Amino acid sequence: MKTWPLFWQNQHFKKIGMALLGSCLSFPIFSQSTPLATPTKTDYPGIIESFEKLISIDQSKLNKKNDLLSKSGATLQNTKNVTEIELDPDFLNSVILHSDAGYVKLASSSKCMFYHTIINDLLKNSQGKIDQISVTYLNSKQERESALVSKKDFLNKLAYEECPETPKLIDQFQVKNLDKTVKETSFASPTGLDQCRNVYLEWLNSSKTPYYCKVHDYIQEAEKNLGDPKDLVQRKAVSKILVGKLKNGQLDFIQNFCDHISNEKLFCANFLTSSFWTKIGNNQADKIYLQNICAPIYKTSNLSEIQINDCINRIKKDNDLCLYPNGRSQGLKPSPQCDTLSTALTHSALKSNYYDCPANSDQLTITHLSRILMNISKGKSLETTAPCSAISTFNVLEFNKKFNNDERWKLEACYDDKLFNREVCAKTFFGDFNDSEMSYTKVVANILRKTRGAELSLKCEMIDSEEYNPLLLKFKSGCYIVYDRNKCFISECSHKVLYNDRSIDIIRLKNRAPLDLFPVNVQEEKFSQHYLLTNDFKQRGRILTNLTNINNYYKRSKSKIIHGVGCAENLLPSFFKSHALNQCTPLPFIIDGMIKESDKVTFVVRTAADSLQAPRLINWSLIFSGVKGYQRNHPLKHWTLYGLD
Amino acid sequence: MVWISVMLIGLSVFGQTLPRFLTKHSLDSIRYISMDGNHAYTVKRPGVLGYISNFRSVDFLSESSQSDFLISSSRFAQKIAIEVINNQHLEFSLFKNNKILVTDIGRTQVKEIGHGHHSKLHLNDEWISYYQSLDRTLIIQNIITSKQYKIKLSSKTSPFFTPAIEMISSSALVYTDVNEVGHTALLQYNLQTAKSQVIIKSNQPGTRLELCQDEGYLAIGEFPYDDIERGSRILQIKVSDATNLSGFSTLYSSNGSDLGNMVCTKDSIYFVKTMTQNRKINFKHTEAARVLIKDGKVETLSDLQSVSQLINMDGRILIPFRDDFFVLNGVANLSEDKLQAPKPGNESGN
Repeated sequence: MKTWPLFWQNQHFKKIGMALLGSCLSFPIFSQSTPLATPTKTDYPGIIESFEKLISIDQSKLNKKNDLLSKSGATLQNTKNVTEIELDPDFLNSVILHSDAGYVKLASSSKCMFYHTIINDLLKNSQGKIDQISVTYLNSKQERESALVSKKDFLNKLAYEECPETPKLIDQFQVKNLDKTVKETSFASPTGLDQCRNVYLEWLNSSKTPYYCKVHDYIQEAEKNLGDPKDLVQRKAVSKILVGKLKNGQLDFIQNFCDHISNEKLFCANFLTSSFWTKIGNNQADKIYLQNICAPIYKTSNLSEIQINDCINRIKKDNDLCLYPNGRSQGLKPSPQCDTLSTALTHSALKSNYYDCPANSDQLTITHLSRILMNISKGKSLETTAPCSAISTFNVLEFNKKFNNDERWKLEACYDDKLFNREVCAKTFFGDFNDSEMSYTKVVANILRKTRGAELSLKCEMIDSEEYNPLLLKFKSGCYIVYDRNKCFISECSHKVLYNDRSIDIIRLKNRAPLDLFPVNVQEEKFSQHYLLTNDFKQRGRILTNLTNINNYYKRSKSKIIHGVGCAENLLPSFFKSHALNQCTPLPFIIDGMIKESDKVTFVVRTAADSLQAPRLINWSLIFSGVKGYQRNHPLKHWTLYGLD
Repeated sequence: MVWISVMLIGLSVFGQTLPRFLTKHSLDSIRYISMDGNHAYTVKRPGVLGYISNFRSVDFLSESSQSDFLISSSRFAQKIAIEVINNQHLEFSLFKNNKILVTDIGRTQVKEIGHGHHSKLHLNDEWISYYQSLDRTLIIQNIITSKQYKIKLSSKTSPFFTPAIEMISSSALVYTDVNEVGHTALLQYNLQTAKSQVIIKSNQPGTRLELCQDEGYLAIGEFPYDDIERGSRILQIKVSDATNLSGFSTLYSSNGSDLGNMVCTKDSIYFVKTMTQNRKINFKHTEAARVLIKDGKVETLSDLQSVSQLINMDGRILIPFRDDFFVLNGVANLSEDKLQAPKPGNESGN
């Protein structure tokens, strides 16, 4: 709320006050007369106390004067025989003391703007809302007299005459005409500082601004249940109509200006240092980052632009909205709060505009490596009806195939070949990519051809058990692999195979999907994924052991991607509690951003368990302890933190 | 810059230099060592867990060369629970079930319990609990009779969530669960009737409930997750033989986002306290602290800037910090062999 101490503390107070008084002097109806008289003896032990005294002096002086004028019946009914009508200086002082600094600044930009701010009740005096205005004038005998004028008379007799556009403006802001007025006003967000200054000056001098600020104040009062409780219900209803006539971006613009009229820097900062969420609203960032946060609110997976903008507004107001996103691709929860998440996403360099279902990954090496490969390839993510962790498996298998390392993949689907009385096995992964010979859909189709005489054209499909409906005709023929979404992972997947509506139980799965991210023995070093990545795939791994190394790496590197393995108990100590000595749950992670603030450094980190869309901020001490802890447990005592280039 | 200073009123700041934990064995290889140093379990070579006592060293368990071991004990110090982690460096999974074994401390005979993780001994080490993430099932087993009880957690629980559990008696226990919007609850469960009731429910998302127990009391800590700005509190419930838990008192509360990771002892509760925090970049200064049970007085015990975990091993409380372990409570130096001094009046040593 706008309160007087803010106004007083504002460094521009004197300038603004003087500006208003200065501008008043230039108007024929205003004048500067005797300054506020102070008592003969006053103690001022502190600035707040002195201000309080100033306020009380002002209040008592104005009250006394108004009482006297009311009792003597000094009201200005007829302006025909009077000249040089001026605002009473005590009234003016009272307005300066009790009004918001921004609105005083707005009022001081021109004579008409002063009237507009009065019309819209933006200015206040010691009694709050201004109902009566104290003026002085010269009577027919050329003697200066004081009088009280009702606001209505003041506006009718003076303001409307001197500013003829006023009735038109009032009409433009009638509820029925508001749509048209809004349409004719520019709410374009500035993108640079110079542009922002121009926008600020335009709004400061626009005669529409006081009316827009009135709309803003009206909505705020109704939303916060302020003002007279008797008509609150009615005001809330009107407020709802007003909100409906303005888009979220327009409301934000008005709020930003009206709240920061006295502070151009703050007004511009809100545009130029916008949060990641604002960038999404401005189409400068992908909507995927708020898809799983917003979709549950509107109960739709296909968010409209209006819903996205409304959701961004909600995110700005409710920092907890980002904690428990929903959707098919899940990660470690809770995610960071919205403000922290916005900071992390703003400083993040990793390609992350796709889903990879870490909660469906029981081999985090694959999730982790696929993220690095996707970042390097910058390719489009594949579509799948299997859990999206299958995309990671496909990427990693293709990568290994490229360097003749797919032989090390262990997971197999087997059946008994009764003709030759032997067990036949084929390497496979749980996925539905029919371009890959190892895709489970393809492997199962091959087995059905060999054991059930299925046609060559047979294609199997992976179906989520929640979407499988045995009554539907389409499931009566063909091959379907119906899996349980909550129990389908990379190494094992709870499922059943249906061929022409009959359950097939001849397929056995063997082994899991062990994979060495970093070498675990010297003999097999060349088969580790990190070796393939940095040597065969030429990503040049630079070992990073301290902050200086990392600083230097970030100065030189183009990719800005650091990858490593650390103990979960150190990286995320509130998620993973240590119960035993040397306990270390290995957790691969990617660092793709660094934030420095004074002497503190923190990193943008995605552990392989985190959703791609929800990076965390983790400080160096925790990262170092995590990598050190894993090194302690590692059979080769390998340091596992590398920058990739 | 948003600096949240934690209230230090009534907080004693020790900030002392803590002793490093020293043993005769390589710290990397130790999985458990008793307070007096007489019983040690170490990884002798990849996949082999050894037991060392009184200058005797035996291969205790032999598993595949890619296996590692986790050993935990309880305040009753009768048995240890051993988890054999298969493919420790080849299969990075947060849902992996480990083979769980128990043995009496000092003996080499082991009993296989089952498969899961987060094994924990209870009630004179006659009971053990462990969790299976993929089935969302908490298993409680009597070690002597092998009788098992299973508690299925909410179907909406994330597979990454692991419940905390404390047994109050042979028929009653408390455990934690969380719903899909992040509200954590503490439930009391009766093994005989298989009925549960909510004791405490967090009134905001983003916090977790921790449990620990020592003589006569159960402590419940509510702490925020790493990136979340919330207050912290530690509640205490007096535990008698009765299985009914009702009425708790607040032992500690703070506006600071403490890390928690509580360890209960007879007279105090150790935890990781957040001293200052820069919210904007999620940078915390954390130290080990303890709250005294008798008067709720809080003492800061370390000056390491970034404490994240506390480990209780046979009453010795350790802070793992980078490449070292610092000792908060208990004997720190087990690296020297000393002959036992003769008892008074028995100078001959007989």
